[in-house]
Amino acid sequence: MTLLEINKVSSGYSGGPNIVNGVSLVIESGKTYCIIGPNGAGKSTLLRTICGLLRPRSGTIVLKGQRVDGLRPDQILERGLCFVPQDRSLFPDMTVAENLLMGGYTLRDRRKLADRMAAVYAMFPILDERRSQRARTLSGGQQQMLAMGRALLLDPDVILLDEPSVGLAPRIVQQVFDAIARLKAAGKTLVIVEQNARKGLECADRGCVLDLGEKRLEGPAETLLQDPKIQELYLGKRRARPELL
Amino acid sequence: MTELVQVMILGAMLGGVYAVMAAGLTLVFGVMRIVNIAHAAFMLLGAYLAFWLFTRFHLDPIAAIAVVMPVLFVAGMAVYRLLFTRIVDSHRHVEMTVLLTFALALVVEGVGGSVATGIYRTTTPEYASDAIDVGPFYLPTGQLYATVLSFVLLGALLAFLRFTRTGRAIRATMQNRAAAQLVGVNVERISMVTFGIGIALAGAAGSLMSFLFTFFPSQHWQWIASLLALIVLGGMGSLAGTIVAAMLLSITAGVVSNALGPTWSPATFYLALFVILMVRPQGLFGKKSEM
Repeated sequence: MTLLEINKVSSGYSGGPNIVNGVSLVIESGKTYCIIGPNGAGKSTLLRTICGLLRPRSGTIVLKGQRVDGLRPDQILERGLCFVPQDRSLFPDMTVAENLLMGGYTLRDRRKLADRMAAVYAMFPILDERRSQRARTLSGGQQQMLAMGRALLLDPDVILLDEPSVGLAPRIVQQVFDAIARLKAAGKTLVIVEQNARKGLECADRGCVLDLGEKRLEGPAETLLQDPKIQELYLGKRRARPELL
Repeated sequence: MTELVQVMILGAMLGGVYAVMAAGLTLVFGVMRIVNIAHAAFMLLGAYLAFWLFTRFHLDPIAAIAVVMPVLFVAGMAVYRLLFTRIVDSHRHVEMTVLLTFALALVVEGVGGSVATGIYRTTTPEYASDAIDVGPFYLPTGQLYATVLSFVLLGALLAFLRFTRTGRAIRATMQNRAAAQLVGVNVERISMVTFGIGIALAGAAGSLMSFLFTFFPSQHWQWIASLLALIVLGGMGSLAGTIVAAMLLSITAGVVSNALGPTWSPATFYLALFVILMVRPQGLFGKKSEM
C-alpha cells in the first residue's frame, strides 16, 4: 500500500535556485526507503520539504491519500509524519524525560503519553537509565536514540531520518543502525537519508540516488548494492572484476 | 561595618524587584529574539495603572497586581499579534524588533505623557513609609513586601515554566525553536503567550515600583538602560542568570551609591556591562553555542 507519494516536487531556500528539482518518490507502508547521494545533492532539503519546514515551489506531497504540501510542520506531524533532522534537534537543557514529553506535546491523553514513554524506554533501555540527565550531556549515539525515541512518542506512520549516523564513531554507528532495525521490526515506515550508503542500503527495502537535486537511479536496495556504477561512485569500490562477482 | 551591611541588605531586597523587572525582558528575548526596548515603558504603564487604581478606588498597589497583570497580559498578546507577526519573516529580524519596540516605547511614553502629564507620581499606601527594626538594622516595610512578592512571582514563573505543558513548550522554544516546531509546538502562538507573560511581569514590577519610587512617563529610558545591562550580564535569555545578575548589580549599586553618592549608582550598571562584554561576552549564565 502506498503511504507517501511525492510528485515532481521542487524546492529551495529563499530566493535561491531550486535545490530539489522535480523529484518523485513512492513510499510503501511498512518499508524502509533509503536516499543516497553526494554532498549537496539536495537530500536534506528534500526531507525538510516533505515535513513542512520548507514549502515546495511546485509539485504535490500526498500522505495517506491527503495532500499535505503547504501545511505547517505541526499540521503534517499531526497527520502522522515525523522528521528527525541531522542535528537531532534535541532540547539541550531539558532532561531525557522532558525531551520525550515534548515529543508527545500534541498528545493530550496523559495515559497514552505515559504508555508511549514506557514503550520507548523498553525499546531503548539506555534512555531509561539516563531519564533525568540533560540531553546535552548524552553521547552522540545516545542523542540519536533520544531523537528517534522522541519521534516515536506520537506513534507516527512515517519517520524521516536525516543522516542518523553522521559524526559518530564506527562502533556507535552500529548501535544507531541496530536502533533503526528495531524501528523497522516495530513495523514503522522509514525514509532514511544516509552518507554511509552501504549501511543505509543494507537496512533498506528500496532506495534511490539523488544527484544535483534530481533522482538518478531507483530500485530495490539489493539491486542498488549490486549495481557496478553505484559501487564505484558511492560504495567506495573500484569497478568490480566479473570473476569476483 | 553596620552601615555597609545595611546598604547590602537594602541592595539585595531591591535586587528581587529588579529581577522581576528584567525577567520578562529576558524571557521575551530568549523565546523570540526580540530586544524589547518598550519593556520599561510597559512597566511604567503598570505603575500608572496601579496609581490610578490607588487614587480612584483606594486599591492597594500590591492587590492591584491582580488587575494589572491580566490587563497587561492581554495587551501584550494584542501588541504581539498586531505588530510583531508582521516582521516574523523579515531578513533583519533582530534589527526590526529594535526599531519596532523603540517606536512602541515612544508611543506608550507619548500617550502616557498626554494622559497623565509629566508630574512625578508615587502611590502612598501606609506601609510605604514604615520600617521594621531587626537588631541594628532596619527594613523598610514597603520594600520588604515588594521583595517577598517578587520572589513569589519569580517562583511562580519558574514553576510554570517547569511543570506545565505551555511552560515546557516555552522552554523548548527558547532552547531550540526549529525542534519545538518539529514536535508540533505552534511557536507563533507560544511567542504571543510569552510576550503577554513578559508584559504582564513588567506590569507587576510596575505595581511594585509605584510605591518604591517616584515615576514620570519618560523615566522608562533610564530603566530600560539598566535592565538591558542587567540581562546582558546574566546571559541574555537565561532566567537564572537574570536573577543572579539583578542581585549582584543591585547590591553593588547600593554600595557604590553609599560610598560615592547616588549619581554613581546607574554608572555601576554600565560599568558592569563594559566589564562583562570584555571578559565574558556571553554573560554569566549564557551559552556560547547551542547543541
